[in-house]
Amino acid sequence: MLVAPALRLLWEGSASFELSSIKALWQDHYLRWRWVWSLLQATLTCGLVLLLGLPVAWVLARFDFMGRSLVLRLLMLPFVMPTLVAAMGVLSLWGPRGLANAWWGIDAQDTPWLLLYGNVFFNLCLLVRAGVDGLAQVSSAQLAAASTLGASPWRAFWRVEWPVAKPWFGSALCLVFLYCFSGFGLALVLGGQRYATLEVEIYTLVAYELKLAEASVLALFTMAITAAAALAYTLRAQHLAAPAQADAVPLQHVRTAAQRSMLAAALLILLVCCVAPVLAIAVRAVAAGPSAWAVLIDGDTLHALWNTLRFSTMAVALATLLGLTHALAAQRSSVLRTAMFLPYIVSPVTVAFGLLLLYPPWSASLALLVSAYALLAYPFIANAASTALANQPAHLVQAARTLGASPWRSFWRVTLPLLRPALRRGVAFAAASALGEFAVSLFLSRPEWTTLTTLIYQRLGKPGAANLDAAWVLACLLMALALLAFMLLERSPNTLTPSAKAHRA
Amino acid sequence: MLDIQQLTKTLQPTRGAARKLAHKLNLHVAPGEVVAVLGPSGCGKSTLLKMIAGLEPFDSGRIMFDGADLAATPAHLRRFALMFQNFALFAHLNVLDNVAFGLIEQGLSKREARAQAQIMLERFGLGPLALQKVWLLSGGEQQRVALARALITQPRLLLLDEPFSALDADLRAQLRQEFSNHIATAGVATVLVTHDVQEARAMAGSAWRLDAGELARLW
Repeated sequence: MLVAPALRLLWEGSASFELSSIKALWQDHYLRWRWVWSLLQATLTCGLVLLLGLPVAWVLARFDFMGRSLVLRLLMLPFVMPTLVAAMGVLSLWGPRGLANAWWGIDAQDTPWLLLYGNVFFNLCLLVRAGVDGLAQVSSAQLAAASTLGASPWRAFWRVEWPVAKPWFGSALCLVFLYCFSGFGLALVLGGQRYATLEVEIYTLVAYELKLAEASVLALFTMAITAAAALAYTLRAQHLAAPAQADAVPLQHVRTAAQRSMLAAALLILLVCCVAPVLAIAVRAVAAGPSAWAVLIDGDTLHALWNTLRFSTMAVALATLLGLTHALAAQRSSVLRTAMFLPYIVSPVTVAFGLLLLYPPWSASLALLVSAYALLAYPFIANAASTALANQPAHLVQAARTLGASPWRSFWRVTLPLLRPALRRGVAFAAASALGEFAVSLFLSRPEWTTLTTLIYQRLGKPGAANLDAAWVLACLLMALALLAFMLLERSPNTLTPSAKAHRA
Repeated sequence: MLDIQQLTKTLQPTRGAARKLAHKLNLHVAPGEVVAVLGPSGCGKSTLLKMIAGLEPFDSGRIMFDGADLAATPAHLRRFALMFQNFALFAHLNVLDNVAFGLIEQGLSKREARAQAQIMLERFGLGPLALQKVWLLSGGEQQRVALARALITQPRLLLLDEPFSALDADLRAQLRQEFSNHIATAGVATVLVTHDVQEARAMAGSAWRLDAGELARLW
């Protein structure tokens, strides 16, 4: 499902490959701008999220304040937000009919800022979460030693805290680059003609111009870049398994004016970059009025809702089976552990395009569509289960064995119950990802299989304010669905996981 | 009776020299007898217990029980209870279900297993804690739960891996006596692995020192 489409693309690309194809990437002004911009926007986003995220992560890692755990929990919001909804959120703030235009006359349409802002919305929280984890590794004794050796807090940060937390920030930046470079939905809606990325170009070549050979060459180029970023991430992630410091730096209460200012600035950054687009969708949807809300009982919407729910349910069930099997097998094989990152290397557009080439007679079959959904969702489950399995103390299963449990009974009565919270978390992310799946739906769907994402996209493509208003309302519905699925499945991150309890026991 | 004959196990790390954990090692434990195996950290005491329990393979030799070779008997069918250094209690189960675990594996219904587990907990003075989460118990209470869980299945052999090392000195002395009484009441053959000579003297009738893979009799 993943390797075969990629190989098929390789075959298609090499069959039509000529030196002129590579030359064209450089000589053709239009193509050169596409790949230069794709790399540039991903690099710029990395710079922006590091600039904004580093101070925010430090404040969240060091200060105790009312609502801190809620803020940490809200950092999950962009992870479960469907791409298209995020794009709508950005448009509702900074687009031609956005709130910024209505209030201050600012319209960012046809500028690179629209896409960069969307990228920051999606990726700032990822970097902040990784940064908070990284800064938690700093030992209070090390900081105290630096202080007694004459280092000011600022110097101590750069000489003690930053070197310890750097691998966490580094690995997060690799992922940010990967997501931005291979992102599709945001670039399609926010990039416009000038700032669309290579992924959008591939989609245009396949769906509108039927230039499969050219699309294959571009897909291969994309795959090479994402593979390099994924490899960098894998290499860096290997150094992140250190246990949390026993003498972690204690949280400080916010007391001084300087501390209050730092906290306010951090929360403002999060509000503007991560919460505002979500709120803007809600504001636009409410302002659209009752006539726009009537779209919710429209036959097309109900049909799309039904499709979204049934495709997602089938995909999540399949992804759970795949993810758990892969995680169990990966305990014995480092090759399989590495293979878990494959879906990150091959972008949704590449998967869908490869599948189209590989299985043309099945291109509009439900099995292929659901399998593609599942394939893109299952790494969430496989990664969560694999980490939990690796952290499970071996002596628990051994104890079960000496108490008379067979290997299968030990798995059923000990391993699986201890794995359940991690599985639930993985399934929550997988469900949110399946509900908001966009690229695969565009490529592999039939007209009668319209999902909420494709329906929103259709509405956006139609002229008139009524269609745009209906799109806000539909985006609200999709956002609520993704949040609901996530909240139903995911429990508070502050509760002790069974693995941690087992360690304590 | 446990009869270990010519047991050999060599640890071959990916880097560095091979290390003999057991070299043609012989050990006999009679019914009801408590035998201690002493030795420094890393000498292979815990590995020896795991080999007896069927959790760790060995290079050569035989482990017999009541005249039968256990080579083809998997861990769950040996009926040897191993008590781990860090107790290995199941955090997803409460105290009662931890103790009932082995009985359910023996085929008892949940209800019957829980009833027997409750009686066992009363005997260990843990009755009021039956529905408590195991990770909320003190170290001594967790230790008692682990022993109750091991003894309730009426194992043919009890394997104790540094059972008191995680406890403070006062509690260790108190539990040592308590455990000796419970083991004597159960009349189960026991292999106690420890690095504490005092502990071995208090609990075991005979003791061996394991060093460089070989056993030397201490008393």
